Amino acid sequence: MAKTRTAEEKSVLRKMFANSHFVFSNFSMAKMEANGFTMTMAPAIESIYGDDMEGKKEAYARHQAFFNTHAVAFNFIAGLCYAMEKDRKEGKIPGETIDAIKASLMGPTAGMFDSIFFNCLRVIGAGIGIGLCTEGNILGTFIFILLYGVSQSVIKWYLLEVGYDLGTSFIDSIFNSGLMSVATRCASILGLIMVGAMTATTVGFPLNWTINIGQTSVVVGDLFNAIYPGILSLVIVLVMMYLIKKGQRPLTLIVGLMVFCLVGALLGIF
Amino acid sequence: MSFGSAFVCALVYSLLTFIDTDCLSWQCLTRPIVVAPIVGGLLGDLHTGIIMGASLEAIFMGISAVGGSVPSDALSGTILAVAYAVTVGGADAIETGFALSLTLGTIMSTISSMLMAVWGAMTAYWEKLASECNPVKFKAIALTVAFLATLPGALIIFLGCRYGVDSLAAFISAAPAWVITGLATAGSMMTAVGFGILLSMIWSADICVFYFVGFIMAKSLGLSSLGIAVIGAAVALTVFFLEKNIVDDKKSAGTAASTNEVTSEEDFF
Repeated sequence: MAKTRTAEEKSVLRKMFANSHFVFSNFSMAKMEANGFTMTMAPAIESIYGDDMEGKKEAYARHQAFFNTHAVAFNFIAGLCYAMEKDRKEGKIPGETIDAIKASLMGPTAGMFDSIFFNCLRVIGAGIGIGLCTEGNILGTFIFILLYGVSQSVIKWYLLEVGYDLGTSFIDSIFNSGLMSVATRCASILGLIMVGAMTATTVGFPLNWTINIGQTSVVVGDLFNAIYPGILSLVIVLVMMYLIKKGQRPLTLIVGLMVFCLVGALLGIF
Repeated sequence: MSFGSAFVCALVYSLLTFIDTDCLSWQCLTRPIVVAPIVGGLLGDLHTGIIMGASLEAIFMGISAVGGSVPSDALSGTILAVAYAVTVGGADAIETGFALSLTLGTIMSTISSMLMAVWGAMTAYWEKLASECNPVKFKAIALTVAFLATLPGALIIFLGCRYGVDSLAAFISAAPAWVITGLATAGSMMTAVGFGILLSMIWSADICVFYFVGFIMAKSLGLSSLGIAVIGAAVALTVFFLEKNIVDDKKSAGTAASTNEVTSEEDFF
């Protein structure tokens, strides 16, 4: 972090830091932290693209994509994206690189930071806090807020800077070696693996359908799981991707999915 | 519980959700150890609030889950338990409050999983709004909606405090079961749309097999996301360095050719 930054960069990073606290606002199952990411990237996009409306539009759309990680790790990826958007503007990298790197980083960082903050720091803070509060001392509450709340903001600031610096130096060195297309492909490989893993853990297809034929009854969910466990989650994601590639709009898909689930529930499939 | 106390509870719920979850993303101020003293203090008994905060925090710490999903709502549960203990009181007030908090927490979880379908349906609107390239407007609307999103929960808290949990449970069971099941199912499937959009950006025929590899690593091998990331990084780095060597070889061959025999350079390509 010994690098000197321009006043512009400093101001953008400060604004991004402030907005990076909106991670969970408008959280939805469809896009999770997409709005938080859009708001965090907004200062960077405004500063980088300026009057370039086409680039701006493309960048805003890019950061409306599905995103989900721990709120602190969020800042590292946002810092990285600030650096990458700069390179995108200069034509050094294609937009797909940014998508791929975001997709590949969200899974592992979520796991890592959940362990650090939720399972470790929170338990330590609560342990100290509970001890004091049991004796009726309000200080316990403040210590908890300091250890588990304020600490997150402090680390968020550092990770934003670390992400930005790393992104700047790393991407420059890759670009200079002429391996950008190779690097994009590799990031996509990791991204695909992580999205595959997240499909297995987050997309549910809770089939609860039994067909009675005479005396035998067939549990339909088991039939599909016999092909491969969880294959229906995989199929629904692939169908969604196919429809989006065919040009369907997300709203159509979401409303369609809701109608499908309601009708399914009415017929007793779910 | 009096109208005033019920209103205070609803207000605390709404404001803490908005400040902590939407504006700070700490998931810290909605923990029982912070909520209980606030509710206790506002209802006139800070001391009980502090002590209950300690015991409720210990209880809810055991229930909380990793990775964003929360099986029981600690915030609403804490508010109700403390409010009950402070305003109604009695020898077993704290125990009754705890019992109520667990029931209400379950009701809140049901409601919020149903509302998840609604928030998912707003996706298209956010995309349209983002494409307008007006960050100030985007932030203003996003935060307004985030605040409005806390109101259904606040209303439930208010009704629970004013009229008791029983009437709320009756209200929920009045909705047809298939609507509740359908919306909850839609909520759990909604993520498929997000993943579909994400995949369509990085999908290409020659590497798409890795999507299935990731799925199998999580589903069948049961690896954690960090474990999968290490294997994935190993694969990605191997591919990277293999291709890097090929590019380097080509380059050095090209340089050798251009320095030695400029005229026959084309033969090398």
